Amino acid sequence: MTAAAPLRVVAVLDATGSAAERHGRALGAFLRDGLDAGDIAPGVVTHVFCPPGADPGAASATAPTLDVRLVRVPAHRQDVATAALAALQTGDGADLYVFPSGPSGTELGARLAARTGGSALTGVLSAAVGDGVLTCRRAAYAGYLEEESALSRRPWCLVLDAGWDEARAEPPEEHVVVEAAHLTPEDPGAPPLLEIKPLEAPPTGDLETARFLVVAGRGAGSRRGVERAAAAAARMGAAFAVTRPVVMNAWAAPDRQVGVSGTRAAPAVCVVAGASGAPAFVWGIERAGFIAAVDTDEHAPIAGEADVFVAGDALDVLEELADLVDRHSR
Amino acid sequence: MRIAVGFKVTPDFEALRAADWARVAAAADAEGRAQATRYVRRVFGVFDEAALELALRLRDARADDGLPTGLAAFTVGGPDASPFLHTLQALGFDCLRVDPGGGPASAADTAEAAGALDFAPAATAALVAACARQLGADILLLGERGGPGGSGTVPFLAAEALGRPCVTCVTAIEPAGADRLRVSFRADDGPVRALTAPPCVLAVGNAVVSMLRVPTLKERLAVRDVPVTQFTAADLGVDVGVALDRAPAVRSLEPVDRSRAGIVVTGATAAEQARALYEGHLRARLEAL
Repeated sequence: MTAAAPLRVVAVLDATGSAAERHGRALGAFLRDGLDAGDIAPGVVTHVFCPPGADPGAASATAPTLDVRLVRVPAHRQDVATAALAALQTGDGADLYVFPSGPSGTELGARLAARTGGSALTGVLSAAVGDGVLTCRRAAYAGYLEEESALSRRPWCLVLDAGWDEARAEPPEEHVVVEAAHLTPEDPGAPPLLEIKPLEAPPTGDLETARFLVVAGRGAGSRRGVERAAAAAARMGAAFAVTRPVVMNAWAAPDRQVGVSGTRAAPAVCVVAGASGAPAFVWGIERAGFIAAVDTDEHAPIAGEADVFVAGDALDVLEELADLVDRHSR
Repeated sequence: MRIAVGFKVTPDFEALRAADWARVAAAADAEGRAQATRYVRRVFGVFDEAALELALRLRDARADDGLPTGLAAFTVGGPDASPFLHTLQALGFDCLRVDPGGGPASAADTAEAAGALDFAPAATAALVAACARQLGADILLLGERGGPGGSGTVPFLAAEALGRPCVTCVTAIEPAGADRLRVSFRADDGPVRALTAPPCVLAVGNAVVSMLRVPTLKERLAVRDVPVTQFTAADLGVDVGVALDRAPAVRSLEPVDRSRAGIVVTGATAAEQARALYEGHLRARLEAL
């Protein structure tokens, strides 16, 4: 009986933007803690995409592996990056690619799988190799259920769950960098996007990166109630979010929504005011380090989904809390 | 400019109880999962609904500039999409439904095939791309993700099949002259605005506009006798069976336990409750931020 060939694993890191550090640490954490791959071929490589003029050392600094292959690609040129990945796969024939969460990783993983006849899976929580099959766990049904799926067609292109962005692994202090200059086209063709300009984050705080988050639910009772909750959040220096029923009642803008049809936040501290605790909402805050909930209904599901629960008037307690935080922060 | 919007009709997940989720998880196959949610009301996929409304607003904004825009909407699934298609007809969309099974003579095949597509984004994308071709779409507009699988890869896979660029996590779309659009979207490192031109695929994410307008009774009556165009996958030249064979195999589904300590904080008044919460649980944590 012949032993299975060692698995060839490649991490893919887009270093053309400022998410490279976060994504590099996430990739490292997954390779260390999330992947049970048995016999991995020595020298897991990271393919790093970086801007044409970038310093090789700086561009590869956040790569999670010692060995780095650097490909020069302008920012927002996923077409060029995908072509480079497909060319590398033709040459190297890796078994498993790991991409960080987010739009860039999702696009590269999906397109690479399509071009190479492989299979892609997103939102991956963990993966294990056995009997020539890759078994993965991920969220399904908008976070209500967890799914276990098996992939057989290689290369396996895994896009990580955003939760890995919170799990940190330090990159190696030094890297062995090889430039894949032949993959940088002299004329990349017309860009699909022009006049690209960054926008300012919403004034009410970026929900995905907030460390302290206040969420108002239907129990706020009215647009005025939501405004009171938002004002209390502002006094506490917290980002402010709402649940889906609040948006459906037009009491707040949809971009403030957390949950399966909004943002998935990961604050250190989250205060939930007047929300019953529907799973679709709780999915949006379950990565919080600490959850405190206030609601008049002590039998509401949120009472058991929070670390601490106050059975009381959500707005009154929130405003009293804002007074305390305000007083102690001066 | 012709815009085609693909949408999915799904059970309203928020309407399912814990016991329902246990039945979904215990179901042996796609048909069993569909049975477990059959009684639940249907809704537009949330991001699909935003895509449909953004298409209407883009049409209206271009009309203000004297620019014509053709709108089409399509879905892959069974007859339960009919009320949604009629609403969209009333709002001015040309509508198309694709039956992924054996056509009108085989409702069971349709349900089974539609359920199997839930976890087969490549198969779904093949049908979506075929619809975009059939409808002559310059812009293919989709929701960023949705449905039971929620992979978020369908827009990219459809774009790949069409040979087009794709922008995802789109939050706003505005006209920028006759042949271009200005799109706002969330990139890996934050919100961005850029110009793009058809042909392309745009996938709508957490947009400020998220709810579809309601047609008037007059608009509904005007289209009551207009039939919805229907095709089967075979009509569009797509072999769903081959695409399904390549999809990841779902081995199991399990409910997720999200319970925490649930320590009850007490107090006679809101002020007392807030103080107990702050001093006992929040103060040190907030000071450490």
